Amino acid sequence: MQGKKTRWLTYAMALVFSLSMVSAGVAADKEIRIGAVYPLTGNLASTGLDCLHGAELAVDIINGKYPDLSLPLAKTAGLPNLGGAKIKLITADTKGEPRNGQAEAERLVTQEKVVGMIGAYQSAVTKTASQATERLRIPYVCSDSSSPTLTERGLKYFFRVSPHDAGFARDQLQFLKDIEKARGVKIRTIAVLYENTEFGSNVGKQVLALAPEYGFKVVADISYTANATDVTSEVGRLIRANPDVLMHASYITDAILFTKTFKEMGFHPKGLLTFAGYIEPGYLPAVKADANGIIVRSTFALDLAKSKPLVAKVNALFKKKYGIDMSENAARSFGAPFVIADAINRAKTTEAEAVVKALLATNIPGSELIYPWKGIQFDPKSHQNVYARGILVQIQNQKYVTVWPFESAAAKVIWPFPAWAGRK
Amino acid sequence: MYEQLAQQIVNGLLIGFLYSLIAIGLTMIWGVMNIINFAHGDFLMLGMFISFWLYTLYGLDPLFSIPICAGALFLLGLLIYRFLVSKVMTGPGLAQLVVTFGVSIFIANAAVYFWTPDFRMIQNPLLSGTWTLGAVDLSIPKAIASAGSVVVSFLVFLFLRKTKTGKAILATEMNRDSALLMGINTERVNALSFGIGSALVGIAGAFLSMYYYIYPQVGGTFGLISFCIVALGGFGSIEGAFVAGILIGIVQTLGGYFFDPAYKYAIVFAMYLVTVWIRPQGLLGW
Amino acid sequence: MEKTAFRRIAPGAAVLAALLVFPHFVKGSFPMHVMIMTFMFAMLGVAWNLLGGYAAMFSFGQAAFFGIGAYTSTILLMYYNVNPWIGLFAGGALAALTGAAIGIPCSNLRGHYFAIASIAFAEIVRIQFNNWKFVAAAEGLSLPLLPASLRNFMFHTTKAPYYYIMLAFLALSLLLCRYVSTNRMGFYLRAVKESHEVAKGMGISFVRYRLYAIMISAFLTAMAGTFYAQYILYIDPESVLILPISVQIVLVAMLGGAGTILGPVIGAAILVPLSEYTRVWLGYKGTGLDMMIYGALIMLISAYQPKGVWGMLTSIGKRAK
Repeated sequence: MQGKKTRWLTYAMALVFSLSMVSAGVAADKEIRIGAVYPLTGNLASTGLDCLHGAELAVDIINGKYPDLSLPLAKTAGLPNLGGAKIKLITADTKGEPRNGQAEAERLVTQEKVVGMIGAYQSAVTKTASQATERLRIPYVCSDSSSPTLTERGLKYFFRVSPHDAGFARDQLQFLKDIEKARGVKIRTIAVLYENTEFGSNVGKQVLALAPEYGFKVVADISYTANATDVTSEVGRLIRANPDVLMHASYITDAILFTKTFKEMGFHPKGLLTFAGYIEPGYLPAVKADANGIIVRSTFALDLAKSKPLVAKVNALFKKKYGIDMSENAARSFGAPFVIADAINRAKTTEAEAVVKALLATNIPGSELIYPWKGIQFDPKSHQNVYARGILVQIQNQKYVTVWPFESAAAKVIWPFPAWAGRK
Repeated sequence: MYEQLAQQIVNGLLIGFLYSLIAIGLTMIWGVMNIINFAHGDFLMLGMFISFWLYTLYGLDPLFSIPICAGALFLLGLLIYRFLVSKVMTGPGLAQLVVTFGVSIFIANAAVYFWTPDFRMIQNPLLSGTWTLGAVDLSIPKAIASAGSVVVSFLVFLFLRKTKTGKAILATEMNRDSALLMGINTERVNALSFGIGSALVGIAGAFLSMYYYIYPQVGGTFGLISFCIVALGGFGSIEGAFVAGILIGIVQTLGGYFFDPAYKYAIVFAMYLVTVWIRPQGLLGW
Repeated sequence: MEKTAFRRIAPGAAVLAALLVFPHFVKGSFPMHVMIMTFMFAMLGVAWNLLGGYAAMFSFGQAAFFGIGAYTSTILLMYYNVNPWIGLFAGGALAALTGAAIGIPCSNLRGHYFAIASIAFAEIVRIQFNNWKFVAAAEGLSLPLLPASLRNFMFHTTKAPYYYIMLAFLALSLLLCRYVSTNRMGFYLRAVKESHEVAKGMGISFVRYRLYAIMISAFLTAMAGTFYAQYILYIDPESVLILPISVQIVLVAMLGGAGTILGPVIGAAILVPLSEYTRVWLGYKGTGLDMMIYGALIMLISAYQPKGVWGMLTSIGKRAK
């Protein structure tokens, strides 16, 4: 038997609880609110923050006057066609969980009244978040998720600026063909090593499917558990397979552990081609010289400044604001705000249908980008940027240096992979 | 297929010894108080971070920060016992399970708050590099950590068998009520074992920090596996945890090598399930 | 006499009425989402309670049943074009069978051994799904978008139907839980909880009732899993099979008050909005502060209010009399 008070207390609690849910989000007139969802707590928090910083800097540049930057909307304050309206980034944390991606996207649209969406980083979260914006009819411009499936869904409001894993996999294989020609070497066998979350398995699938087309024999196909405590058995299998080249898709934790274990067990292929984790900002400080010689796929490198002065200027701004050099993640996320702001500016309204129309007509030239692309134009069907392509960077003297495509290379690629011994 | 067998067994042993050291701390707490400390992995993380900061700020090598890690974690263990765990000792069983979950979530996120979620690594500790013994490559920091694990486990074993306090702990572990009747201050024994258990995982953290990356969520997988090790060895059994740790290290490594790396932890969990099915009290439990 | 009866029913009826009209007054989709998640975790907590609360089988592996429910109905829908409502029962049945299969060998495990065994079991299920090509492994499954209707268990423009469906599921679970707890089964389960030795004296029946409890709990948990799949329209092992889901379920039941019928509902009504709103208010800065508060609350409540919020309310009520 419970007391009377208890029951009324419960009732009161239910009431307070219901009332607390009704919180209003009122948007100011002169600002254009763009939602940004990233994993800001949990395992990927470090990466999520890095992405967010890239997007924040982009918004600063759009909103302020930067006459010496050739980026879209940099020279004027705000969006000129909308009376100088400013972009405001409304950020939300997904904790890296797909269900929060959906919930946060819906909250940002319905309560925070955002008119466009960027972000998510993890493809699984981008999937649910963009599905939510699709239902709510809000344009979503993604420049940081790389799963090919995202642009295969036929969504009307979803656009992707950056290249996807199938493209990246092709780049890596093409690079091997190019190096064979350039150095007169023969590469016969490759091993594919990938972590078994959505990202890694997708890369693995692409490489496995494409390798025969380029004439390489896959001698090991190893999928492993992400965030492992120890990877000596995986490396043991690689040593057993003895491939000419290893292709490895991982997030940062495994990238660090594998690099250490490769060295410890003396696994030494001719080439180490990698994805994602090897280019995150925490990776290089953690392994230092042991990373020298590793090749990573990228969309960006600081040494692109040699042919693109814009890169150096943007990096200087980034360094001023956050105290570190711009990483590949930050650089990728840096792209989306420009694309969406440019479309809104040309549409002269934030009304979704008009913005989508403007997005489809996007034509940003390569000179206005920090990436080594011909520009940004979306495929009318898939909404994938047709000019998006990857570059390969190699870690040389503990710096990321562009080595491929050979015509935009900042340095000659070091091939084969240098010996482990005697690194400093 | 078998040319690397020796190498893989050695690797399995190296990770196994480390698992043992982590699990012994857990099994002490578990055995004496019948409480699962779900924050055990986070204690490990704290040990690693302490070692990292001592190295970064004061240039102290992880080898020498072992006693500091042990001391700091011992104090933390005492505090957590005094203000949280002791409150649930007589309460419902579930509260005992859940309280340490709260501690775990709190500590992991406090680490994010104070130290950011970035990844760190201790550069060039005194112990680094590889010994090559015939066909086997032996990582020096891992080998020293294993040796440390054996020494520490043996010391704990001696402490429990030879000292008066140790005997009191063992007696409480076997039968709390009788221990109370015999005039053992079980409250003090509890606090002490919580402190010692935490100190042991602090030591493991210092060793691990010599060759493993450090970030706020690093304890997750280690914690999960140490639960299995303790349950496999038998709750409260130091010898059991030691043997089970090595066993799991070897099974995980050989399973990954011969069968499929994607399933290596599944093999570990399956081995645990099969064992407790046949022997519900664990390998060396009573 | 009649007045007492009225007093007993009135608050419950009022809460129910408020919940029924809630969607008509609150239009934002996020409050609706929070409510739906609250109901879902309340239901999961009620299902857990059958095991942990009444029979002291502290399962930390409920995510396995949740995932089995989500995957079964989704696979049936995508590959065999089976209506999700049928999938719901298929998933429930499969989860109940799995529960029985794992429950028979584990029925002699007690306390922490059972808890760890349940974690091990759920992790094996997760790893299997994560590598299983048939269920698209780690890539996960995006449900096909069907026309919105109750028959298709899919709605696109409004969350209200999801809200009412989940509320109905929750009500069903509560009734079932109440039925079980006042029934012979509840009596047996509590007897086992009090003393294994006494229960052993009762012979085989206690193993049988423990098994029933696992199966009912698994069935309800799988129902919620199917709901989740139909609601989010995308599932992968990382979102339906991971340990944090199992832990969240335990926390909901424990903080509300394990072993009481309404405890898990109270627990969910506190924890779910707390975690959703702290994420909204603090999480976007990425400092971890939101989870710190969440963790602190859990550790303080369990240390200083170990009987849960419901237990606290009850004792306040008693003192006031």
